[in-house]
Amino acid sequence: MLRFDSLHKRFGDVTALDGLSFDAGTGRILGFLGPNGAGKTTAMRCVFGLVKPDAGEVTWNDKPIDEPTMLRFGYMPEERGLYPKMKIGEQVTHFARLSGLDRTTAKESAERWLRDLDLGDRIGSKLEELSHGNQQRVQLATALVHDPVVAILDEPFAGLDPIGVDTMADVLRSLAARGTGIVFSSHQLDLVADVCQDVVIIDNGRAKLVGEVKELQRTSPTRYLQVEVDGQPWTSELRGVDTVSTNGRHRFVLDRNADLGPILDLAAHDGEVTRFAFEPPHLTDLFREAVQR
Amino acid sequence: MTRTQRIFQLAKRDFTQRLRSRAFLFSMLLIIVLALAVGPLISLAEGSNKASVIALVGNQPNGSEAAIQQQADALDVSIELKRFTDLNTAQTALSNGDVAVVVNGTSELIYDKTSSIQLSAVITNGIATAQRQIEADNMGLSTAQVSTLLAPVQFSERTLTPNNTSQDNARQAAAFVALMLLYISILMFGQFVMMGVMEEKQTRVVEVVLSRVKPTDVLIGKVLGIGLLGLIQIVALGGALLFTVSTAHIANFDLGGIGIKVFGMLIMWYLLGYAFYSFMYGSLGATISRQEDMQGVAMLPVLLILPGFFFGQIALVDPSTTLARVTSLIPVWAPMVMAVRSTAGDVPLWEVLLSIALVLITTVLLIKLGGRIYRGAILQSGKKTKLRTAWRSASD
Repeated sequence: MLRFDSLHKRFGDVTALDGLSFDAGTGRILGFLGPNGAGKTTAMRCVFGLVKPDAGEVTWNDKPIDEPTMLRFGYMPEERGLYPKMKIGEQVTHFARLSGLDRTTAKESAERWLRDLDLGDRIGSKLEELSHGNQQRVQLATALVHDPVVAILDEPFAGLDPIGVDTMADVLRSLAARGTGIVFSSHQLDLVADVCQDVVIIDNGRAKLVGEVKELQRTSPTRYLQVEVDGQPWTSELRGVDTVSTNGRHRFVLDRNADLGPILDLAAHDGEVTRFAFEPPHLTDLFREAVQR
Repeated sequence: MTRTQRIFQLAKRDFTQRLRSRAFLFSMLLIIVLALAVGPLISLAEGSNKASVIALVGNQPNGSEAAIQQQADALDVSIELKRFTDLNTAQTALSNGDVAVVVNGTSELIYDKTSSIQLSAVITNGIATAQRQIEADNMGLSTAQVSTLLAPVQFSERTLTPNNTSQDNARQAAAFVALMLLYISILMFGQFVMMGVMEEKQTRVVEVVLSRVKPTDVLIGKVLGIGLLGLIQIVALGGALLFTVSTAHIANFDLGGIGIKVFGMLIMWYLLGYAFYSFMYGSLGATISRQEDMQGVAMLPVLLILPGFFFGQIALVDPSTTLARVTSLIPVWAPMVMAVRSTAGDVPLWEVLLSIALVLITTVLLIKLGGRIYRGAILQSGKKTKLRTAWRSASD
C-alpha cells in the first residue's frame, strides 16, 4: 500500500502541501482530484523524491521508499517529455533498462507495450515523427514498460481524443486487474467517476474528501432531486430548498432523509410528472462540496 | 541492474545517439582528413626549398664554376649553375623567378628584389678563388704550393647554450598541436554536455529520467557518454596526425622518439581536463532551458580556460619558467600547461603527479558542487535559474 503520510511542503511563501494524507491500495484505481494549484503534482513528485517534503513522508508497505522500491514504480509526469530524435522502440527500451530490466526483457517488454498501444508498426520511428496523441501513448508505455507495482500518472487523459481516452481507460483497468495500484490526477470528473474506484479530493494542499466513490456517494448527507413535468424541467420555488443548475439540469438539493411525498404532490398539481429522480451526488457535486467553490 | 549499470545505460544512450548524428560523423571525418593532409603539406613546403639557380653571363675566370660550387658545398648552400648567352634572357629568367641571381661578368650581381648575402658570398669567394688560382699558375707555383696557398680556413662551430636539435623541434611542434587539440576538445565536448543537459530540461524528459536515476548519476552518465565520444575523436585525430607526420619524412623533425609519449600525454590530459570542465558545463546547462540562453552561460568556463591557452603558449617557448611551473599546477589550467610542459621539455615526475592529483581532487569537488546545482536547477521551471536559487533549493 502506498501511503501519503501528512506531507508538508512550502515553496517560499506558497504552501503546496499542508498535511496531505491518504492511501492508495494495490489493484485499485485512485482518482486524485483538486483544483489547479491544489498540490497534486507536488504530491506525486514526492513519491519519486523529485520534491523532498518539509515534513511527512511517502511510504510503501509502511517503509520509506528506497531506490529499489522506486524502480518498481511507474511515473508519467504532467509535463510530458521524451527524446524527440530517438526511435520510440529504443526509447522505451532505454527506460526499461533504467528501471532495471535486463537487455532482452527490456526490449521484449517495450515492443509488447508499443504493440498493445497500437504503435507496433512505428517502433522504428522517431518520436518527433509521431502525432501528439501517439507521443502520449509512448509516454504511457515508458511509464509502464517495467510492469510497475504502482503507477503514478499525472493527468494521463489530458489532450487525448475520445478514442485515446477509451484506450487509456482500458489500459488502466487491465493494469489494476493485474494488481497494479494506480494513482492518476485529472480534471475530467465524469471520466474519473467512470474509471476509478477510489477518489481523493484535495484543496490547498490538504485532503478534503477521501474514500471509495460509491461509498462517498451513498453516505453523503445530500441528495439531488430532478423533476420534469410534461417533459419540461420543473423549476417551482420550494420553500427552504436550494436548487442547483448544471449543464441545463435543474436540481433540488435535499437532505437524504427528506420527505418526498409533498414535493411529488406539488409537481403533480402542475401537470403530468414525467421524471422524478432522487439520486446521490455525482462526483462533480462531491468535488464542488469538498472545495466549496 | 546496479547503480553503475544504470549510469552506463545513460552514457550509452548519449554516446550512440550522438555518434549516429550525421553532423557529428561528418565533422569528425572532415577533421581527420584535414589532419591526414598535414604531413604531405609540410613535405610540400619543404620541397620548395630547392636549389637556387645562379645564372652566369659574360666572362668569368676559368674554373669559376667549380670554385663557386665548392664554396656552396662548404657553406651547405644548395645551388645550380646555368650559363646564359646574353644578359637579357638571364634577366627575364630572373624576373620569372627561374633564377635567383645573375652574375654579369665579374662586375655585377643582379637580384630580382632582395639580395642574398649568402649567395653573394658564395659567388664572390668562388670567383676570387678561381682568379687567385690563375694568378698562382702564372707565378709558376707548383700544385702543392697553390693548394697550400688557397686552402680554406676550417672552423668548427659550437654554441654556449645547447642548440635546438631536430627532436626539440618535433617536441615543440607536438606540444603546440597538443595544446590546440586539448583546448578545442575540452571546450567542444564540455559544451556538448551542457547542450545535452539543457535539451533534456527543455524537452522535459529529464523528469522521467529522474524518477529512475539520481540527479548526480544522470550527470555522471552524460559526462561519461559524451566524454567517450571526445576520446574517440582525439584518439583518431591524434593518431592521424602522428601517422601523417611520421610518414612524411620531414627534415629537422624526428617524431619517432616522442610520438607515443605525446600521444599518451594528450589522452590523459584530455580526460582530466574534460572531466573537470564537463561537470561545470553540465551543472550550468541545468540552469537554462532555451538555446538562446546558452551563450551567456557558456562564457564562464571559456573565461576560465582561456588564460590556460595563453599560459600554455608561454610554456611552449620555455617550459621551465616559474610562470609555467605555477600555472601547470593550477587545476583550471593544468590540463593544458602541464601537457605542453611535459611534451616540450622534461618535467620532474613529482610535479606531474602533483598536478594530476590537484585536478582529480578539484574534479571530485566539482562533481559534488555541480551535482548539487544540477539537482537544484534541473526541475525548476522558468527561463533561467540563478545559481544561488539552484544551490538553495537543492538543500530542501
